[in-house]
Amino acid sequence: MRIGLPRALMFYRYYPFLKAFLEECGCEVYPSPPTNLNILGMGTDVCVEDICVAVKVLFGHVCHLEGKVDAVLIPRLVSVEKRGYDTFTCPKLIAAPDMIRYTFPHLPALLEFTVDVAKAPWWWGCIRLGRRLDVPLRRMARAYPAALREQSRYKGLLRKGILPAEALDRMENGDAHALPSYLSPGDITVAVVGHPYLLGDSLINKRLVHWLDICGARVLGSSMLGDEVIEAEASRLSPLSWSYERELLAAASHFLNRCDVDGVIYLTSFGCGPDSLVTEMVRRELRPSGNNVLMELVLDEHSAESGMRTRVEAFVDMLRYQQGKPSCAGRAS
Amino acid sequence: MKVAFPHMGNAYIPLRALVETLGAEAVVPERPNRVTLENGSRYAPEFVCLPFKITLGDCINALEKGADTLAMVCGMWACRFGYYARVQHLILRDLGYEFDSLLVGREDPRVIWEMFRPVVGRGAGAARKVAGALAMLRVKAGAVEELECLARKVRPRERAAGSTDALMDSYLGKLDEASSLCRVRELRKEMREALQSLPLREENGLIRVRIVGELYVLLEPSLNFDLVKRLGGYFGVEAQPVLSTYRWLLSPLWLDPLLHLSSSRARRLTRSYLPYALGGEEHMTITGTLDAFKDGYDGVIHAYPLTCMPENICRTILPHISSRMDLPLLNLCFDEHTSTVGTITRLEAFLDMLRSRRELANRATGAGKATGGREAF
Repeated sequence: MRIGLPRALMFYRYYPFLKAFLEECGCEVYPSPPTNLNILGMGTDVCVEDICVAVKVLFGHVCHLEGKVDAVLIPRLVSVEKRGYDTFTCPKLIAAPDMIRYTFPHLPALLEFTVDVAKAPWWWGCIRLGRRLDVPLRRMARAYPAALREQSRYKGLLRKGILPAEALDRMENGDAHALPSYLSPGDITVAVVGHPYLLGDSLINKRLVHWLDICGARVLGSSMLGDEVIEAEASRLSPLSWSYERELLAAASHFLNRCDVDGVIYLTSFGCGPDSLVTEMVRRELRPSGNNVLMELVLDEHSAESGMRTRVEAFVDMLRYQQGKPSCAGRAS
Repeated sequence: MKVAFPHMGNAYIPLRALVETLGAEAVVPERPNRVTLENGSRYAPEFVCLPFKITLGDCINALEKGADTLAMVCGMWACRFGYYARVQHLILRDLGYEFDSLLVGREDPRVIWEMFRPVVGRGAGAARKVAGALAMLRVKAGAVEELECLARKVRPRERAAGSTDALMDSYLGKLDEASSLCRVRELRKEMREALQSLPLREENGLIRVRIVGELYVLLEPSLNFDLVKRLGGYFGVEAQPVLSTYRWLLSPLWLDPLLHLSSSRARRLTRSYLPYALGGEEHMTITGTLDAFKDGYDGVIHAYPLTCMPENICRTILPHISSRMDLPLLNLCFDEHTSTVGTITRLEAFLDMLRSRRELANRATGAGKATGGREAF
């Protein structure tokens, strides 16, 4: 059975896990290609207008997969951690399979991978998925640890500072070649805080990391922070029930307090519900000041690469000017 | 202690009664207007939903009027609404206002109790005051609810245009002033009689529409361009929203068990469309649409603010329900740039379509009698 995985939203968090699990269970996994203009266009056409661009991209990827696979797998992440209070992910992640089901009535089959850690552990979602695929329990028991191993290998790559899209690529094609150039030390260090699906999708973020790299900046991504850093930081801040945004708030706070980071870019997509308030919390609760510079970049399907490049160059120039370093004007090709 | 709370439809009447019976002073901001919206959107985050901007404007207005305590509901749900107070109060403090936050829902009830202690007092007298305040809240909310319900029924059928609204306004004012339970009950009886004795037109198959969607957009007339009144008075259409101030005020306080029965029924019916709760009014939107078909409504209007998460998700599901049940659906998305004329044009087109559908259905059945959506199916 050929199972399609749309390269959007939670793909950038859990693809290695799902791929290993499904392959061990004897399925063929077919991920959709990296987002291109065609996919974005299809998504924008079928999706509700005022939803965030990441969800539109998900719809585009499902359009792309329609007819190419026997089933499409959409993760449904309700809660991903257990705390004293209720935790959620974004409502759009909670209802992603429902939105897809009612928008694509002719989809061959829609598989759900439900994670609701507040009610049932992770493996329960795997068992439900395996049942749906008629996989015997023994086989699932073998697949689950293998999937966890893959996931921790992926996390290890992310911890090194490799950004999600590249880390996924290394998972597939081997980890032998040298570290990407944006990790090599530059005179300026910029931290990019944002959801993995924005950091990882270079069509949505208009090659933000590439432009930073060209300007000669070292780039740190919020995806590189380990759970213990996030936990330590988040426990100092007031609680937030959106788990992923809690992570981003903690990451922003961490980078804003680090003296080896010159500037922080907070990446959000237009219409992102939680982020509309979390950016305000970053600005008003963390109060970036002094040598901590914060820039918010709002992305949507109309963003253009040249616009992104201009803003990145101006930002890096401003950081250099602040520290009395030469600007990147001559350097950029 | 001067307590202020943002507007939401006629919720200020029962809320003012609650605060004043407890012994504190209530500061009611002006009805939301252009200035409120402009103030709100100037200081609010760019793409937050519209209710945030309007309630922020309300808070600024109330603080200008001298309020020293801002009351707001808050919680930790998947919907943004639970975080309104946290971010709004940050913004207001950054603007230089000084006030106490009265966060209903997240804070320990004891904290709220401590805040009210100086005005409420101690011992048996305090208990009596609290019980009296809750009774006032319930009775006034009930009276406002009944007035709104009756007006929605009478308005499209009234003979003299505007007569219902004139009556309604005068009774809302009287209800707001009433200071005893007996007086509210008296007024309730009076207004019932007054509204029922209004001269009505001959009814010939009135178009009925259900309004579903986000709570604040449904209930705040300044935001939805007075949708219910306009549909009733201007278009002569009976419009019934699924949500009411009464429901919103009383269901968290457990003062009306019937509300809980209908909520849990709504959750049950929604489960086949959305198995997990999203923190908003998605269950009322879906169930309202399903019920609209059963109750023979001619169409459904889905109103929500731009970027509202739960309602956007409903928006992907509602067309499916609408086409399966052959029930016309109009999506109205509101933000600070939405114009009255644009909304009216869309409403006109939608209602024209409903009327011609009705005519076609009548012609098909050969009867001059009004037929609802059920027969059409």
